Amino acid sequence: MAVVCLALYSACTPGRTANEGPSREITDDLGRQVSIPAKVDRVISLAPNLTEIVFAVGAGDRLVGRTSYCDYPPEAKAIPEVSDTLHPNLERIIALKPQVVLVSTASQLEVFTQQLKGQNIAAFVTDPHDFEGVFRSIEQIGEIVGEKDKANVLVQKLRERTNAVEQAVKAKQPVKVFYQASGEPLYTAGHDSYVTDLMRRAGGASVTSDVPGAWPKFSNESALAARPEAIILPTGGAMGAANSNVAEALRQSPAVLQGRVYKINDDHLSRPGPRLVDGLEEMARALHPDAFVR
Amino acid sequence: MSLEGRNITVAYDRRIAVADVTLSLKRGEITAIIGPNGAGKSTLLRTLNGQLPQSSGAVLLDGEPIERLNRRSISRRIAVVAQEAELRFPVTVLEFVLGGRFAWATHSGWGWETDQDLHIAEAVLRETELSDLSARLMSELSGGERQRALMARALATEAPILLLDEPTANLDLSHQATLLSLVRARCDQHRAAALVVTHDINLASEFADNILLMKQGRTVHSGRPEQVLTPEILHDIFEIRVLVDAHPVTGGPRITPVHEPISVNRGPGSV
Amino acid sequence: MNRVTFRKTIVACATLAAVLLLAIVLMSLLGSEPLPVRASLCALASFGTNRCGLTQDQFDILFQIRLPRILLAAAVGGSLATAGAGYQALLRNPLAEPYLLGISNGAAVGTMIALVFFGSIEWTRPILAFSGALLATLAVYRLARGRAGATPERLILAGVIVTTFLSSVIVFVTVLMDATRIRSFTFWLLGDLSGASKALLPVTIAVAIAGALALTLHARSLNLLMLGERDAFDLGVEVGRVRIVVFLVASLLVGSSVAASGSVGYVGLVVPHLARLSLGSDNRITVPAAALGGALFVIVADTVARTVIAPRELPVGAITALIGAPLFIYLLRRA
Repeated sequence: MAVVCLALYSACTPGRTANEGPSREITDDLGRQVSIPAKVDRVISLAPNLTEIVFAVGAGDRLVGRTSYCDYPPEAKAIPEVSDTLHPNLERIIALKPQVVLVSTASQLEVFTQQLKGQNIAAFVTDPHDFEGVFRSIEQIGEIVGEKDKANVLVQKLRERTNAVEQAVKAKQPVKVFYQASGEPLYTAGHDSYVTDLMRRAGGASVTSDVPGAWPKFSNESALAARPEAIILPTGGAMGAANSNVAEALRQSPAVLQGRVYKINDDHLSRPGPRLVDGLEEMARALHPDAFVR
Repeated sequence: MSLEGRNITVAYDRRIAVADVTLSLKRGEITAIIGPNGAGKSTLLRTLNGQLPQSSGAVLLDGEPIERLNRRSISRRIAVVAQEAELRFPVTVLEFVLGGRFAWATHSGWGWETDQDLHIAEAVLRETELSDLSARLMSELSGGERQRALMARALATEAPILLLDEPTANLDLSHQATLLSLVRARCDQHRAAALVVTHDINLASEFADNILLMKQGRTVHSGRPEQVLTPEILHDIFEIRVLVDAHPVTGGPRITPVHEPISVNRGPGSV
Repeated sequence: MNRVTFRKTIVACATLAAVLLLAIVLMSLLGSEPLPVRASLCALASFGTNRCGLTQDQFDILFQIRLPRILLAAAVGGSLATAGAGYQALLRNPLAEPYLLGISNGAAVGTMIALVFFGSIEWTRPILAFSGALLATLAVYRLARGRAGATPERLILAGVIVTTFLSSVIVFVTVLMDATRIRSFTFWLLGDLSGASKALLPVTIAVAIAGALALTLHARSLNLLMLGERDAFDLGVEVGRVRIVVFLVASLLVGSSVAASGSVGYVGLVVPHLARLSLGSDNRITVPAAALGGALFVIVADTVARTVIAPRELPVGAITALIGAPLFIYLLRRA
């Protein structure tokens, strides 16, 4: 009887033995010193952008769990789902015996990380507010999974592409742009969003760049009064057809009247990972098409 | 104006609550229904008001089956005085009593009380000695005053038939008599007919012209108080021995229950 | 004619209507974008026929954004307060309130189903919201009603049961939605008037007015119903019919306002309570006064919601709850 209990007990608490041995400390975006095992070969990602980063640094084979929204690269779909982004299944996560769980604040799981800590599983939280933050996420994840060199090469390439875009639009007059994250109700990208940084680099001047927060609910009349010259609709991708219409308050804006409403694949804008640079290029081409004529 | 029940049987949940009861209320007279708990007294009253459907027999209001009449035309003719008012909202005594004029409104849901409605309300407030309290909230009244307000509301309907469901249950002695005097006055002065369900045999004896004794849903006896309030009949109904003598003032029957000590076996061996 | 109450009703309603009109005008001068006061007043006075020197943008802000939103706030506030007064009479309990009873949640479930399955067909929203509200009302009524009517404890318990059950249904329905829409829904669920849909606004206003009239026309019956179903029956009220009318009208009011603005809480509690406190319990006054007062209350609450952290916005439900919840606790302690 006692033996059975003991066996069950140890079977149910694999987490206690998951992270032993030598480890290192990496500071995450919440400013926490996270203790990461020296060699990591079991990782769970709880956000699509983090899954993309793990694959991009060549560590896709170490990913043992993902969310239902992690659909890129296509190989990711072969990995077991542990949750959607909002409701992680703790039991399934523990059963997969990860050493590190990667969390994005966009998925609002800060509290959840406490539970993981109790299971002796490292929870590493990313919360980039600009391109530098995204690059740092890539480098740190590369470091976590032991692919530091590949990550550095990737970031180097991404920086080059980013610089190329910035060079191309440098001489251009910034376009007053409104980023419509959602039309009804109206949400936009605020001061703390990496998208605001993206728009600046793409030769745009976000009319909401001074609004506090990352994704503020925005006043319809202020949107109208801002008179944007261009409107960005992140749509398509995982979002499907949602958000493909300009909000009612903006129907008479200069952007609409001049036909300067641009739909950009939401997967390239809402996932702060390697493909964010694709979003940057698409945005820059939309705002300054003449800068990219060959 | 007449209300009669012919061979009424009421059943709910497969239980027969009232079985084959026949009665007729006469103008100017008070009829009292007496009987032990569960005898079907209140059920009978609710059936006579059209609230509970009878499973057989007929309730006739002025010769018409009550289920064919609409609510307001019934309420202009039959008023019910309940035991207790439910007061979760603050209403004044006058507002409360004006509720009795609802059935007379020209529109069923909207409209305002007429001057006549107000006069009638003021008159019944005087009759029930509540005039001074008419602007007070119902919740501020004492139990006796509240019962009088319920009575006043019933009187304000000007219905010639009054049904009272244990109206004195929550009242002390003097208020019990006051209330039944009001009913008596209505019957005498306005030729109203009243039916009173009560547990108080002496009160019934004093005020009622007719008494209906019910047991297990049936009318066991009916008649004038002095005819039916006999020790034999009351023992038959309540299974208790009573003394009956003449009331020193009214001369009517006065009932005194005799409480016999419950016999307890105190023989050896019992603990 | 009972001239005293009649005059009181007319005076109260006329005063409230005047204040409401004043509030509509004043609140349309406030917003995240400052507008020139005199020119705006002039344009409002001309019912939008004269621009009075406003720029096209200012004119659009005033007439395309602010005014529709204020009118929606009025319709939603009037609807919810009227429905609250109706539920209170029906359940014989001054604590009855569509949001606290879970009826708003029923309407929210209906709206969400409409959005998930018939997203592009706007008119399915109020209809399914109405159906949801009606089912939730029936559930609360059946659960809450004891022999002595709905006691406060029973009523609140029934409300908690229905609310939590429907909340889990809402969570279930959000799973069917894509992640990007969930945040907008969370905001909407708390009550948000920013989506003043041009198509639904006239419907919402029409329902609010028709509903308030329908309940006012049953006010005398409600007065008696409020003091006990059996007594009301005895006094000539066709209880069954009136009950159905209140059920349908109140559910319609809640359904149309939730479909337009999500669940704005506590309006149906705060406003009828204040109306009774100042004008007495006669529903011939309480119901129309609550309708006008509710409109006023939500207009002011929404003006706070859209200006206090401008150009960002708060959900109006957060403001009404901030005022309503303490009052609810106070009423509960007194009950």
